[in-house]
Amino acid sequence: MPNRMKPKLLLLCIVAWLCWSCNDQCKETRVVRRFSNVTYSLMELRTQVKAEAPRTLEQPGKMYVKGKYLYVNEIKKGIHIIDNGNPASPKFITFINIPGNGDIAVRDNILYADSYSDLVSIDITDPTAPKEVGRVKNVFQTGTFDGGSWALNETIGAISDQNVEWVEETVAVNCEDNISPTSWWGGWLFADRAFLSSASSASPQSSGSTSGQGGSMARFALDRNFLYAVGQSRMHLFKIDKPSQPVDFKTIDLGWGIETIFPYDNKLFIGSSSGMFIYDNIDPAEPKQLSMFRHGRACDPVVVHEGVAYVTLRTGTACGGAQNQLDLVDVSNPSAPQLIKSYQMENPHGLSVDFPTLFLCEGEHGLKVFDVSERFSVDKNLLAHFKDMHAYDVISLGKTLLLIGEDGFYQYDSSNPKDLRLLGKIPVGKAI
Amino acid sequence: MKKIAYLWLLLAATAANAQTANSPRFVNHTEFGGLFGRVKYSNPYTGNQEQVDSKTSLTIQTFNGVQLNRRLSAGVTLGMDWYKAALLNLVAGGVRYDLVGRKNVQLFGTVDAGYAFAWFHDDSEGFDTKGGLMVNPGLGIKAGKPGSAAFTLALTYKRQEAHVTKVPLWDQKERFEDRVYNRLALRLGISF
Repeated sequence: MPNRMKPKLLLLCIVAWLCWSCNDQCKETRVVRRFSNVTYSLMELRTQVKAEAPRTLEQPGKMYVKGKYLYVNEIKKGIHIIDNGNPASPKFITFINIPGNGDIAVRDNILYADSYSDLVSIDITDPTAPKEVGRVKNVFQTGTFDGGSWALNETIGAISDQNVEWVEETVAVNCEDNISPTSWWGGWLFADRAFLSSASSASPQSSGSTSGQGGSMARFALDRNFLYAVGQSRMHLFKIDKPSQPVDFKTIDLGWGIETIFPYDNKLFIGSSSGMFIYDNIDPAEPKQLSMFRHGRACDPVVVHEGVAYVTLRTGTACGGAQNQLDLVDVSNPSAPQLIKSYQMENPHGLSVDFPTLFLCEGEHGLKVFDVSERFSVDKNLLAHFKDMHAYDVISLGKTLLLIGEDGFYQYDSSNPKDLRLLGKIPVGKAI
Repeated sequence: MKKIAYLWLLLAATAANAQTANSPRFVNHTEFGGLFGRVKYSNPYTGNQEQVDSKTSLTIQTFNGVQLNRRLSAGVTLGMDWYKAALLNLVAGGVRYDLVGRKNVQLFGTVDAGYAFAWFHDDSEGFDTKGGLMVNPGLGIKAGKPGSAAFTLALTYKRQEAHVTKVPLWDQKERFEDRVYNRLALRLGISF
């Protein structure tokens, strides 16, 4: 070998030696939910309910509609009052700051809202200047928002709350997928807001044209002279003979995992994580349990139309569960509900029925519209599937459809259910 | 990133075209070997202690090009790398340059640069693996009579990027991984 080649071979060895110390660099970036504990004084919280200048939607929760006004909950913060006289261009009128708010119900000119442990009644005769007129203190003991839970500590007059924030973290990983052993947790995610925002709160109404209408995910319901509010394990009855001054009337224990309430035809249909309760409500002061329709563990909003209850179950929530389905249940004999048929769905959330049309929110999979007149072949009568949106809850008002999702609030002309026409959208984080 | 790969292809093609007039000599250099490296990471199962694992992957590649002058040839390199959690196909532009040597033993330089695709990679449910930029410079020895087939042994440094979108865990709403494979590539091959 010529001498001049030797240094080159040495170079080759150096290259090899340098490379031998090569390390793979793999960085995994995650957006993780972080909890931080905070304590709020009730004394202070109770001074904070007040009208503020309108603001943009940031984290919309439940919605409620009465007349031309829309009430959209900003999770844990308060309520947007929106003038929807012209659905093409809704106008934000006021924001009511209500700490710890998750649910809404409106009767006449009084709005009921939960504020952590309290039920607050607010006079909205002048929607530009709502004011607190009544409060029932310390009725709700615990609740959760977005996965963080709060609890009332009556002895010191405080709320122990968990703030939830999303933080980005980056860690060095071993360049492999490392699917197990944590992958089964994967299906757990995606804050089901109905469950996670389970303060203790009011829902759709069945009687009286003076009340508004809530979505199927609501926890507040108005029926005659009572406001029903379901918490995680109980139902609270508030007497509202004098609307501005609700009175804590009664508490009924229901068992764990209560999610939604839907009053219909003198009955209360209560969705829980273990099944659907049917309460007889002929005497609104004395709801009596008629039956319970059990299914696997899952969250399940319920709507009812003429003897048929439409129940959705879904996975991917804090409620656990392994099914994504729509159940049609025969409730013509409310003491003995019978399954009509189950249909597989993707990730069903809220729903609304405008017989024979059923609107079903599929979360990130959008909105499905079914014709349910043929109850054994609902799946064959899919009228439309709108995929380009996130749909959480829906309210059908006949010709208009209100829909709320993580990315905003939508209104559709639904006079032809096969061809929904978008009237207007209020996107999250954008001023109008 | 892909653009760079295309640019290399274009460059190689142009170079090839430029030579057609003088009936260029076609060059093939096909190699297989191993990619050797390590990874240092915090192991979540041992209280986030830093841990080092060795990594070995199989690699094959073929360089096809034309002889531009006595020492230099340029062309396109196609290859496949079996990383533990990614199967990547590279498309790159490459050059081979004879540095020094006797008639039948040559020291040569090699550079390949381009983009690797995850065309044939099969992802776990919910995962999405994408390839990335690749650069692979190094040195090798070629043994064989000039003008006929020769055996090669090449030692190169290979840097390969990849991106993986993962299923978020229960308390997460987004999860992805940026990978840079830094490896020593030791390859045997033939060239003619």
